[in-house]
Amino acid sequence: MFEVTEDGSPEEIELRIAAVLTNLPIIRSLAASIAMRADFDLDSIADLRLAVDEACSTLITQSAPRSTLRCAFHVNAEEIRFVVSAPSTSDTKPSSDSFGWRVLTTLTDHTATWIDGPDDSDAPLVHIELAKRRSEGLPG
Amino acid sequence: MTGTQSSRARNQETSATGYEHLTPKFVEMAELPDGDPRRATLRNALVTGHLPLAEHIAARFSNRGVPREDLIQVATLGLINAVDRFQPDRGTDFLSFAVPTVMGEVRRHFRDASWSMHVPRRLKELNLAINAASAELSQRLGRAPTPSELGKHLDLSPEQVYEGLEAGNAYHSMSLDEALSPDSDSDPLGDKLGQPDAALDGVENYESLRPLIEQLPERERMILTLRFFRHMTQTQIADKIGISQMHVSRLLSRTLEQLREGLMGDGK
Repeated sequence: MFEVTEDGSPEEIELRIAAVLTNLPIIRSLAASIAMRADFDLDSIADLRLAVDEACSTLITQSAPRSTLRCAFHVNAEEIRFVVSAPSTSDTKPSSDSFGWRVLTTLTDHTATWIDGPDDSDAPLVHIELAKRRSEGLPG
Repeated sequence: MTGTQSSRARNQETSATGYEHLTPKFVEMAELPDGDPRRATLRNALVTGHLPLAEHIAARFSNRGVPREDLIQVATLGLINAVDRFQPDRGTDFLSFAVPTVMGEVRRHFRDASWSMHVPRRLKELNLAINAASAELSQRLGRAPTPSELGKHLDLSPEQVYEGLEAGNAYHSMSLDEALSPDSDSDPLGDKLGQPDAALDGVENYESLRPLIEQLPERERMILTLRFFRHMTQTQIADKIGISQMHVSRLLSRTLEQLREGLMGDGK
């Protein structure tokens, strides 16, 4: 009834959306909906929602004008993995000493950030990756 | 009350308001000294006499997801305030003073104590049931329940649980829940928890962050500290503060948004 997917295989969900802060509600609703349907506990659903919000707003605020945010969710039996990427105006990664980073590390089980390029495109592509594991002691 | 429908047809800008007979009572009341027992009688008559006005205004705001009885109660409260504050010697008539006062009261009720969008009653009840079940199951399990556990407990289908959980997100961040929760001033927890200064050491934007955190209401600051510096779960925080997990979630979400905005406004 509450399986991750009908055949139990990992599920991929991708969203491409304009990198503007007004789109945050759409992204966080999607995150919450995915975690809910993967039958994560309510705390984990809320945590993922906040973390996705934080990661996306971090990238949006340093994104190149009129750029697109790419959000990818990967759901399997153990965890939900989320990667968000956006072309950035700077070639520095989000600082791991910032309060925002502390928010991300508190709310999730794994956080990473890296930069690609710029090679053929004109802006470096900044990524943030998060993973939220299913809580211990849950049935099934 | 039966006066609601009949007062709808009347236009307050014409003289035929249906309340003219009450006007002399205001003058009479204003002339009586404070503490005169006749004042209370006049006040009662004025409030009762104008009740159709409150009902009329409440009716204009009905079908927006707030029970009609609640609206009438709030509008009546606004009416009582208007009767108490009205000064007949100012030259305005009571209705042009009372209508905005009562409408303001009703609007405030919508802002403070209701859902930010229209949510069917069934979903609100579902959301309340889920909230209650979630508190109960958290106690029993020692952690927050999953949607399937909630479904089993409440004998609901997964889709119904999802619907109910999603309805919670439509709830205005200034909720009834909040109005009923302990006042931050009287909360003994607030005294026990100091500033998160020590824990914040080493955070890069500490200098710009600290004043923002200090500006937060006591309870929001406490929730932030408990979640990010003491690593408590939302369910544990909810239990400690005496509000629902969903409410903790809403407050935390709003607080983080405020901090982000504040840090950006700082030119960072």
